[in-house]
Amino acid sequence: MADKNYYTVDPQGKLRCLKCGVPLEKGKAKFLYLDNGFPVELPVCPVCGFVYVPEELALGKVLAVEKALEDK
Amino acid sequence: MIIEERGSTHVYKQIRMLSKEELERLESRCVHEQPAFCVAACPLKLDAKALAQAVSQGNFDEARKLYEKIAPFPHILAAGCDAPCEAKCRLTERGDAVDLRALEQAAMAYGQRGRARGVLRMKKRKTAAVFGSGLYSLFLAGELNKKAYPVTVFCREDDADAFIAAGAGFAPPEALAADAALLKETDIAFRFSTDLSRELIEEQRERFDVLCLSPELYASLYPEGSADAALQYDRENRLVSGSPRGVTETAFCAKKAALTVDRLAQNLDPGNSRGAEGPVETRLYTDVSGAEALARVPHQGLYTPGEAVREAGRCLQCRCDECIKGCAYLQHYQKFPRVLTREIYNNVSIIMGDHMMNKPINACSLCGQCSVTCPNGYDMGEICHLARQNMVSTDKMPLAPHEFALMDMLFSNNEAFLCRPQPGFETCQYVFFPGCQAAAIAPETVKAAYLDLCRRLDGGVGLLLGCCGAICDWAGRYELYDQTKEFIRRELARLGDPTVIVGCPSCKKELAGYGELKLVGIWDVLLRLGLPEGARGLERPAALHDSCGARGDPGTQEAVRSIAKALGVRLEDTPYSGDRSPCCGYGGLTAYANREVAGEMTAKCLERSDAPYISYCMACRDRFARQGRESRHILELVYGTDAGDPPDISQKRYNRLTLKKELLWELWHEETREMKLDFELRFTEEALRLMDERMILKDDVIAVLEEQRRTGQAVFDADSGLTAACRRVGNVTFWVKYTPLDNGGYLVRSAYSHRMQVVRRQG
Repeated sequence: MADKNYYTVDPQGKLRCLKCGVPLEKGKAKFLYLDNGFPVELPVCPVCGFVYVPEELALGKVLAVEKALEDK
Repeated sequence: MIIEERGSTHVYKQIRMLSKEELERLESRCVHEQPAFCVAACPLKLDAKALAQAVSQGNFDEARKLYEKIAPFPHILAAGCDAPCEAKCRLTERGDAVDLRALEQAAMAYGQRGRARGVLRMKKRKTAAVFGSGLYSLFLAGELNKKAYPVTVFCREDDADAFIAAGAGFAPPEALAADAALLKETDIAFRFSTDLSRELIEEQRERFDVLCLSPELYASLYPEGSADAALQYDRENRLVSGSPRGVTETAFCAKKAALTVDRLAQNLDPGNSRGAEGPVETRLYTDVSGAEALARVPHQGLYTPGEAVREAGRCLQCRCDECIKGCAYLQHYQKFPRVLTREIYNNVSIIMGDHMMNKPINACSLCGQCSVTCPNGYDMGEICHLARQNMVSTDKMPLAPHEFALMDMLFSNNEAFLCRPQPGFETCQYVFFPGCQAAAIAPETVKAAYLDLCRRLDGGVGLLLGCCGAICDWAGRYELYDQTKEFIRRELARLGDPTVIVGCPSCKKELAGYGELKLVGIWDVLLRLGLPEGARGLERPAALHDSCGARGDPGTQEAVRSIAKALGVRLEDTPYSGDRSPCCGYGGLTAYANREVAGEMTAKCLERSDAPYISYCMACRDRFARQGRESRHILELVYGTDAGDPPDISQKRYNRLTLKKELLWELWHEETREMKLDFELRFTEEALRLMDERMILKDDVIAVLEEQRRTGQAVFDADSGLTAACRRVGNVTFWVKYTPLDNGGYLVRSAYSHRMQVVRRQG
């Protein structure tokens, strides 16, 4: 089955996990809110699995979806 | 401390907010949609208000169109109209009624006849005959023609001009000529020069479905008949007729008669399903105090167009928007309470889908201003409050709009909470309850007030620093409110149930809802004791802003004015003061749930005067100062303190903690353990601005950085050169962007948050 992603952020080698000392890679993640889930691709550390949510994403798309769900 | 987020968007629970009857009872209080007085008075249902408006704009064509709608022969009607609307014009209370009759004539004289004369309509199969001449016959034939009945008029006159003249001798020749032209355009058939007798009429029963008689003919040929005035129908003789007096009544009776013909032609009882006929009662309210042009524009004969425009311009365009005028919230949503209530009711009733009214429900300040400005006491706040409680009870209330405020309340009643008897006392006669915002915004003032009360009152004055529960009450969190109430009650019981000296009118109102508490405002105590030394007013005249918490509490409003007077403050009169005062934007948690509307509320308060504002609620003081207005709480003047620039959200928490610490040490000699950071923490100005805007506390930032130190987890962004770390605290994930300092500390450059949780996904 084709993988569905609502949103993709590619770190393009510009982000680095300070704990593991490796660049973050585009990886599979999921946003969860009020019993709803959204598969996305975000910068993820290939070693420890830390997922990075950039400021623009948090204040843009994420906030908009939060607000929409809150009024469901 | 955490407040549970609602579990899911898939909630199917439903509890009715109001019964249908309660909803209708509430809605009926709003008279915004009631007809204007002139419109209600007109039996022909002329929209005189719209006509006056069109004329005032010089749009005579539109005005004529409105008038032509109500009469088949409008020139004659305009010439003879008795204008019952004028007697009902509200301007009569202050001066002359608008000369609506003259405006109708002007509309007919200067307006162009509408080009589209209706779509081509098939004539009906049933036929009607009208016997006799006169105004009634003329109007009735016209009405029936409008209803597409084939009409035949039997009259003694020899031609149409004579027929018209017989009906409307009062009208000027040009009006007669104009309507004669209209009559000739119709396909009304005539039997001129007919000898009208009872035999003739009875003979025609076979040829026509309905027979109508002029009043004069009916009276002379059927003296035994008695036509029902409401139906214009003689059931016995099966004849349509009546006995109207005056031009307007004749036009109205012709309309009623035409409806009767309509019913009879369909073999229906003429008495049923007639709809609303004639003049109606209106419950509209209009404030006429602002009316300026009270005298009629004089005229001899017909108004000139310019005179008509001026006369129509005097029309008040009666409507009730008393609530909207004073309320930034209603102005923002551009809806009057009846509509808003219905939409809110529907919003809480829907199970699935978008709840479009959640925002308006949470944007009202619940201040109750509308309950005073509305002539019928409509309280939108009551409805929004009920809706919030309903949403909480069905688990449909999102936490996001109120979480910060609720967490702040929990902070006030935990870390920052303090309840002690006066040193040297076990129980007290009084307890000072300054309110959470006073401690957060003006801790020095709270301290000065408390020390003063201890010094000048006998019997011991305890201190209670905490929240009265208004925050969770406003949020509709009734369970949390009950818990808070119990908690505060228990604390008061420990002090021996003293009289509570409140420092905030909203706390006073909230605590009054507890029942059985003895309450007094600090303003009343100060008036009794006299002002302390050093109390001084402002040099410049000031405006007094009444707190929405003091609405319906004239004692408090007066006491504060007396204190201001004793301080030597020259108070300016402002519109919307006392019970009509608007909310500053803090009430009802608007400041948290909807910053945009809260900002408009603050602006609405400040537009009343350019002078410095004196208030007696610390939240008002804070919001006005944030807008750059010189703003002082009355207690700052009484105690010669100055809380200065408004604190940010972190400072508000710090102020509460510091006040508690200082008082514990100075009065009760208790030391509080101070939490010291073991790393240096600095913020850029921009970071502090963003944090205040995004409601992120320094404590949230510290929580993130402590986690970062423990786990070493962070992301370095080569583009910006900044490091980012995060931590989930309660229902929110906080991110901090920083530059590491050489000593292992942090220079915070930005912070942001999201409520969604993010997890890694396999596969």
